[in-house]
Amino acid sequence: METRMEEGAGDTVTELLNGVDFENNTHQKGISNGYGPYSGTLTNGYTCINKKNGYTRGRRQNGHVLASSDEECTSKTMKGPIKNGYVKAASEEPLPKTRIIKESFEPPTLLTAALTHISFYILMFLGYLSQALFPPKVAKEKNRDGYSPLFDKFSSFYSMYVYRRIRDCWNYPICSVPGNEVVLKDRVTRDNGWTFEFTGSKTKCINLASYNYLGFAEKSGPCAEAAIDSIYKYGVTTGGTRQQYGTCDLHVELEKLTAEFLGVEDAITFGMGFATNALNIPTLLSPGCLVISDEKNHASLILGIRLPGATVKVFKHNDVQHLEEILRENIYKGQPNQPKGAYKPWKKILIVVEGVYSMEGTIVRLPEIIALKKKYKAYLYLDEAHSIGAMGKHGRGIVDYFGCDPKEIDILMGTFTKSFGSAGGYIAGTKELISFLRKNSFASKHAWAMAPPVAAQIIAVLKILMGKDGTNEGQKRIETLARNTRYFRKKIEQMGIIIHGNDDSPVVPILVYLYSKIAAMVRILIQEKIATVGVGYPATPLMEGRIRICLSAAHTKEQLDYALQVIEKVANELGLKYSRKPINSEPIEYDKIKVYED
Amino acid sequence: MVKGIVEFLNYWYFRYLLVTELYMVEKWERVMFHIVLLIILSILSLFNTTVVVSLVSPITQSLFIQSDLQEGIPGVRGEL
Repeated sequence: METRMEEGAGDTVTELLNGVDFENNTHQKGISNGYGPYSGTLTNGYTCINKKNGYTRGRRQNGHVLASSDEECTSKTMKGPIKNGYVKAASEEPLPKTRIIKESFEPPTLLTAALTHISFYILMFLGYLSQALFPPKVAKEKNRDGYSPLFDKFSSFYSMYVYRRIRDCWNYPICSVPGNEVVLKDRVTRDNGWTFEFTGSKTKCINLASYNYLGFAEKSGPCAEAAIDSIYKYGVTTGGTRQQYGTCDLHVELEKLTAEFLGVEDAITFGMGFATNALNIPTLLSPGCLVISDEKNHASLILGIRLPGATVKVFKHNDVQHLEEILRENIYKGQPNQPKGAYKPWKKILIVVEGVYSMEGTIVRLPEIIALKKKYKAYLYLDEAHSIGAMGKHGRGIVDYFGCDPKEIDILMGTFTKSFGSAGGYIAGTKELISFLRKNSFASKHAWAMAPPVAAQIIAVLKILMGKDGTNEGQKRIETLARNTRYFRKKIEQMGIIIHGNDDSPVVPILVYLYSKIAAMVRILIQEKIATVGVGYPATPLMEGRIRICLSAAHTKEQLDYALQVIEKVANELGLKYSRKPINSEPIEYDKIKVYED
Repeated sequence: MVKGIVEFLNYWYFRYLLVTELYMVEKWERVMFHIVLLIILSILSLFNTTVVVSLVSPITQSLFIQSDLQEGIPGVRGEL
């Protein structure tokens, strides 16, 4: 204890941050994972949260980290963070077993980075040249002399001379349910992407593109039947907003079930996931509030945050230390633009984070953020759009995954689009919060209520996940997804391809960096009957073009094996094996992968 | 044998196109880029052989002369 005081580590949160070791510096000796020599190049490569180190006894419910890792971190392997000055206090009793958050962010080599930049300039040069020599034959407004342009010049240039060239990789029309396989409508372009023609043929592909984590996007089965039955009873529209005549018994049942599923007091549902964020955050904020948002937050969150005119600060992706710095600094300064010497505290502080980040595949460091929010008395808004259903032993999202108490998160938001194979979103929390939103939210006042068949589908899925249908189908799906995720990620890593994100996140971004490689990979994969999504600037930073793969519980091992084999072939062909990490060549057996054992 | 070489060249040309983003541009743009690249390179080499060499040669010569003087090679002094 004395050493603790000497270190000046009186407050638990700083200790907690020390113990967590974000920069991966102190771990080099500690963890014998084979990453040691490379940790200099991995900015955030490998982190380990020790219950005993990070969290004092009173906070232990927060400290439980990663319920599903097969690698364990004991007192011996935790030498790095224990050096923080409180080793003596902890050494008397054996440390409890802790879990590892394994996240990888391998940066590109300097050569790759330089080439990506140079090739981008080549592309820009050729684009401007082409535009100057052959003005595009696009519709132009006439009689607009003296008007300022309505559209941004660069964005229209970008869409015509960068995006247009590889436009065939996006906006694919589909003609089947997006389950584990999806049928694409074939099309050709004869003028380099300006226009497309349908050939009339169709291609059936393995679907690694759709967000269908638990495989509930089905056209038959109990959920689809429930939806169909509700159409016979209610039709497909509610005919009004929730505050008018738009509430039917399905909505009430859905909200009750959602609250029960999440373990909170109450929940409110909306017909659109994007609007749940964009329209509810403005209800909670006003000028004079401080919002601290993760830099990789989804567009819906950013839109919602900007609307009410609150002060917005952005912290580095998943960097809790930076979050704390921003919190401290802004609490110290108070509201901006005050008369000289005057101090006006913030009306309220809201931290906005996501559970699983859809472009990065990372998982929020929830226990640490909860500890921070408690220390600084800030509210926490957690968007579980990609994690609800997909993460945690019981499918209750990131809160379940970390074993936190859902009541400690002030505003729990999520969507029914991804894991539930439906549409819409919810906000869950205390009764007070939900009643406030029911009365004041734009989405409750002015937006159409959720369509009955959509609600019926969600109710059916929720019942399956909670085991209320009398089977263990839900649990099976959750475990299959976790197993598929681990299997796929490990196999891809073995190939020497750089992937980002957490080992347990079902979103797998494969880094390819260049537009040409995005296009080439998507095209070749579709030829090989695999559908994936390419993501490039502006959705990602310029340097980090990627192919995003979404795993699902509906995928069979055979499908994954086929996809992996094709990806390996393509990676060799296109030169995607950028990774310089040592490769663990142990064979991976699908059936022996441990998931959610404790 | 020839087929193998052609395949090898084709493959690496494809990889070259990928890393320079020329894979996704139209054919005339590709040709245009290569022409521009060739022109730049040839102008650069012309500039090197004429201007840079004539500028640099007095410096290198004086360097050589100095070193030659130190080493005391009579032949070189005689020529100058």
